[in-house]
Amino acid sequence: MEQIKRRIIDEFNLRKQADDLGVKVWQTPSFMFIVMGLVIVAAMTGVDIISQYYDSPNVLIVSETLVVSILFIIGYFVIHSIESVAQANKMKSEFVAIASHQLKTPIAEMNWQTELLLSKFHEGLSEKQAEIVHEIVHSSSKMARLVNDLLDVARIDQGQLALTKDRVDMCTLVKDVVDSEMAFAKTAGVQVRNTCPAASFEVIGDRRRLSVALDNLISNAIKYTEKGGIVEVILEANGQELQICVRDNGVGIPRSEQVRIFQKFFRSNNSVKNKTDGTGLGLYIAKNIVEQSGGKLWFQSIEHAGSEFYFTLPLA
Amino acid sequence: MEKKKLLIVEDDAILQKSLEDFLSTEGFEVSCASDGEAGVEMAHTNKPDLILLDIVLPKKDGYEVLQEIKADEAVSHIPIVLLTNLGSVSDVEKALELGATTYLVKADYKLEEVTAKVKEILEIA
Repeated sequence: MEQIKRRIIDEFNLRKQADDLGVKVWQTPSFMFIVMGLVIVAAMTGVDIISQYYDSPNVLIVSETLVVSILFIIGYFVIHSIESVAQANKMKSEFVAIASHQLKTPIAEMNWQTELLLSKFHEGLSEKQAEIVHEIVHSSSKMARLVNDLLDVARIDQGQLALTKDRVDMCTLVKDVVDSEMAFAKTAGVQVRNTCPAASFEVIGDRRRLSVALDNLISNAIKYTEKGGIVEVILEANGQELQICVRDNGVGIPRSEQVRIFQKFFRSNNSVKNKTDGTGLGLYIAKNIVEQSGGKLWFQSIEHAGSEFYFTLPLA
Repeated sequence: MEKKKLLIVEDDAILQKSLEDFLSTEGFEVSCASDGEAGVEMAHTNKPDLILLDIVLPKKDGYEVLQEIKADEAVSHIPIVLLTNLGSVSDVEKALELGATTYLVKADYKLEEVTAKVKEILEIA
């Protein structure tokens, strides 16, 4: 009941809608529909009154034509305002795509030069200097990650996320991702375990994107688990599908937030409490990558007890 | 064994130099072009075993270079790896349709991985 009430209030909160959509109040679709409704009621009353006084079909035809044309005009404005919202949304995505693309060139420059320095030209670097270069590499990969996330979101929004089709062994991929999170887990005081019951589980998918999806789930699990907690990654074949579960015994997701966690830029209140950094894009991206790879992603969570995130992928 | 010849067509000086430095220490004979026109020309004069080709280039873009090379029998057999920072569905499809062997996103690949890919292709080819 409470939800229905809120829904109705939201529907009539034109100022908020206008702010959300970035248009003027009179341009919001809800306002237009209200006006349209009022016009229809007024027109019907008018036609009724007119038909009582004038018994001429001509007058009726003229008044009906008038009403229909008014409705058409309002309809035009409704469509126009919806179009301008869609347009603004498209421009935003395009802007993000262009900006991220421009950012990628300097990131590539930085990556390749530091790699050169550490691989082919490392002679003469002192231990301290090498350590500093490693820190630079770490920072630049953090930035690359952020830019990639933004770009992926822009592509998902435009239906333009291109996934490559590599033959990927998920056992190895899980192990690699877990290894890459070890340093973070150690600082957080969280244990990460992974189990793979078979020698290999091959799927066809985008190796880099799949590790991004998995990494988002594992790093979330570590972030939202307190010191001494355990994060487990469990692989399991289920008919023609591979099911991967990331389980933690952390703070869990409050029931009130559970419907929103796959929304873009959504961040749990817990993240504020726990002072964890993040953009709120991880789960949105992970879900889209998994679904575009032919799988499903879902979760169950109990506050103060922990969360379990599952995803499936068709086995090759 | 004779050194394999690579041609790098890349307008960003730093990226070009990094690739050149890395690949030449890996035992390749590397030549570079900084725009599309020079790229096509050097594909003919140098007869490289593989071309690493950027997409956003001055004078002629990577797609045009790709098209011209693939349309010319003298050089059409040379495998071409696109190096790009684009990577939306349409870009990738377009490149593969035009005959590129594969594509790599620069910011996501280490020089070591680019090298591994080059070696992989040259062994198959």
